[in-house]
Amino acid sequence: MATTTLPQARPAYRSRVYDWLTTVDHKKIGVMYIVMSFGFFMIGGVMALFIRSELAVPGLQFVGEATYNQLFGMHAVTMIFLFVMPMTTGLANYIVPLQIGAADMAFPRINALSFWLVLSGGLMIMMAFAFGGAPVGWTMYAPLSVTEPATGVDLLILGLILAGTSSLLGAINFMVTIFRMRAPGMTLLRMPMFCWTTLVTSVLLVFSIPVVTAGLVMLFIDRNYGGGFFDPAQGGNPILWQHVFWFFGHPEVYILILPGFGIISEILPVFARKPLFGYKAFVFATASIGALGFSVWAHHMFTTGAVYLPFFSFFTFLIAVPTGIKFFNWLATMWGGQLKFDTPLLFAVGFITLFLIGGLDGAFLAVVPFDFMVQDTYWVVSHIHYVLVAGSVFSIFAALFYWFPKMSGRRLDERLGKVQFWLLFIGTNVAFFPQHMLGLDGMIRRIADYSDNAGWTSLNFLSTIGAFMIGVSVLPFLWNVFITLRKPQDAGDDPWEGYTLEWATTSPPPVHNFDKLPPVRSERPVFDLRHGDVHGAPVAAITSGEAH
Amino acid sequence: MRSIQAARRHTWRSGSVTVLALLALLLAACTGTRTNDSPTGDAAAPGFFPGEVVTQQGAASAGLYLPVFIVAAIVFVLVEGLVIYVTLRFRRKPTDTQLPAQTHGNNLLEVIWTAIPAVVVMILFVASFVVLTKVEATTDDPAVTVDATAFQWQWKFAYPDTPIELSGAGRQGPEMVVPINETVRIRLHATDVIHAFYVPAFFYKKDAVPGRVNEFEVVIEKAGTYGGQCAEFCGLSHADMYFTVRAVERAEYDAWREQAILDELATPTPPPPPPSGEPKPPAGEVVKVLTTAEAPLAFNVDTITAKAGTALSIEYTNDSGVPHNIAFYQGEDATAPVIAVTVPYDEAEPGPGDVQLLTFDVPDEPGSYYFDCQIHPVQMFGTFEVTA
Repeated sequence: MATTTLPQARPAYRSRVYDWLTTVDHKKIGVMYIVMSFGFFMIGGVMALFIRSELAVPGLQFVGEATYNQLFGMHAVTMIFLFVMPMTTGLANYIVPLQIGAADMAFPRINALSFWLVLSGGLMIMMAFAFGGAPVGWTMYAPLSVTEPATGVDLLILGLILAGTSSLLGAINFMVTIFRMRAPGMTLLRMPMFCWTTLVTSVLLVFSIPVVTAGLVMLFIDRNYGGGFFDPAQGGNPILWQHVFWFFGHPEVYILILPGFGIISEILPVFARKPLFGYKAFVFATASIGALGFSVWAHHMFTTGAVYLPFFSFFTFLIAVPTGIKFFNWLATMWGGQLKFDTPLLFAVGFITLFLIGGLDGAFLAVVPFDFMVQDTYWVVSHIHYVLVAGSVFSIFAALFYWFPKMSGRRLDERLGKVQFWLLFIGTNVAFFPQHMLGLDGMIRRIADYSDNAGWTSLNFLSTIGAFMIGVSVLPFLWNVFITLRKPQDAGDDPWEGYTLEWATTSPPPVHNFDKLPPVRSERPVFDLRHGDVHGAPVAAITSGEAH
Repeated sequence: MRSIQAARRHTWRSGSVTVLALLALLLAACTGTRTNDSPTGDAAAPGFFPGEVVTQQGAASAGLYLPVFIVAAIVFVLVEGLVIYVTLRFRRKPTDTQLPAQTHGNNLLEVIWTAIPAVVVMILFVASFVVLTKVEATTDDPAVTVDATAFQWQWKFAYPDTPIELSGAGRQGPEMVVPINETVRIRLHATDVIHAFYVPAFFYKKDAVPGRVNEFEVVIEKAGTYGGQCAEFCGLSHADMYFTVRAVERAEYDAWREQAILDELATPTPPPPPPSGEPKPPAGEVVKVLTTAEAPLAFNVDTITAKAGTALSIEYTNDSGVPHNIAFYQGEDATAPVIAVTVPYDEAEPGPGDVQLLTFDVPDEPGSYYFDCQIHPVQMFGTFEVTA
């Protein structure tokens, strides 16, 4: 470098903002998804704290029935559509192209469009609060969702259509990227498990989002143009809404958890210093869960008197088997390993211990006569939150701690991570375990208040304490991110001794991701490189983003 | 290295915290004191097992809980035990300089841990299917049939072939009376949105769906009063849609039924005539009361004032899409006798533009009386102030 070269000035603030607003780089888009999702996580969390504050003791102390009825639906919509889905999409956006050795996604501009669509949808959904809210639950059952006069419901419908379109475009983008842009030597059966779960999630989205979009359009027509899809007086049927919604709604819950399964499958092997046990079994189990996920939707409708119960009970039982396969393979991955309990592994093991409870709850619910007792009670609320908090939230934090160094060049603080983990672990159990008992005792859900002599007060109060512990656990994380981003970028390419291609480039990666790719001869190309097990020269990376 | 020791201490300390929390939880669960007059609870505190179940069908369902619980408990202990063992036994030690054995998989294990769970869930499926058939079975000739109609936000019970109609709102929901040890068929109707008929003591619920009649049968084996609640979110007062089922011996049921029919047929007592000899007081002003579309569950006034001994005219306009009426009571609340009512609550029409007119004699005694909408007494009520 000539000595007369001036040091490069940092680009001006306005041009940095413009850069982010107009970027089509999957890494920047991924970061925007992650930051937006975390913001909605906190908003949805505040709603949950209002809900649990109201339920702590009998009587209406804080919000009243009308506001409460808006809160529980919007809490679910925010957490499902504006936190978990975009967060996992953001993580996949950042990581999947890196893991397959590509320079970007197949369609970078559509990738950017997906982000701005979900942000717009999210803002539209939040606006519903200013128009009477949407007191219809996230499930929006007709005829209640048709006759509810608040305009907030229409904003919710339109916002969800935008968010659904975002997911659908993203799903197509991921499928094309994964099928067409893998590095030389990376067959599908050498692809990282996170990419497999992203692929199956994308397939589920492609088949389910159009169905719910159609349902939302029908609902909009019924609400605003005198339609009668769900109105018996006009020849329609309220049950039709439930079929259309749950045909999407059940695959949706696998959309919410499969990325988490992929994340756990990335982290356990690295921190155990062993390969993933039963890679092919994992692929088979993931594909089975995806396929079977389309056969069980009416287990949400057992009490309607309008579905063929044995069929849906049978398949609901069956879908427990592939999830069990995953559990045993995860345990076998850890068995005989050398476990290092850094924060990513803590969250991964926490996930395994607690997601199990949510899964077992589901097995109970497959027993139709038992479902008759606990459907629409706090048993279901407990199940939902074990699988979504202990499942999705734990795996998301595991991923954030694992990939934060790759994205920012710095490792998050381990002590703060452990404090956060234990607060969240204990808070999750204190908040949601008592709800099993409440449901079994007959406490129904979606009620702002309950009888003061039902004997439910102490468990509700306990559950509220747990909810506040979960809320408090976010604070060490926020502090952790703040102080870490001020540290120098010294994490290095591969702070965890990882296995997959994202660890074969700098932290953070350059714009084009890779200058050179290691040869891919197994599902652990970076492990192979580190241990000198692979023969052959490194391959020049394709920097233009073209498919090969 | 230090962090491993610290983490291990962390694990034990936090482990004991978790154990303590769980113990506290169990304590709370086991020692809750309860009375038996809650709308839906029973005397036992919530715990790991269902409370009392009083129907034949419910007992069959609840009987499935224990086997499923045992299977779940075994899986739970097995998996969590393995997790605890693995996290303790296979921690990275400073002496671990070599990689552990890089096992990629084991096909035999895969077959075993696929086949055994598949067999277990299939056994559970068959067991639950057998019970399901029993629970959903219906007979040709039930002893008693009750039509339960759900509407926002109350239940109404009718006995076919009789004029009996039972209603009530909020915590004083209607009470259905049925005989024990005989087949009772309950038919579910809904007029506006989806509701659900749920009695925890029956271990059962079923939805009431507009455009469809769901029905189910129960044989109640123990006399008593069992609370129920709407269990499908149906709008503003979903949390207040209570009812009860009172199961009694056949003789007592017959007696109740006869009396209920008589009560239903008896004409309502007319308001007392003005004292004879005194001139009839001049007609009072017309008080206009309104319910708007924007606030469909409220009167636009919370006090109606009138002079004692005069005649009061009410013009009530209901512009909401929800049926309402106005009733005036000879007392402080709705348990007092009704002085006058605009229309009977089961004939009330929804708006917009529904106008109800009423003229009646204001009580002679000044004081604070009461008015409400008999369909929505929890939300719509006020003070009927009678001045001297």
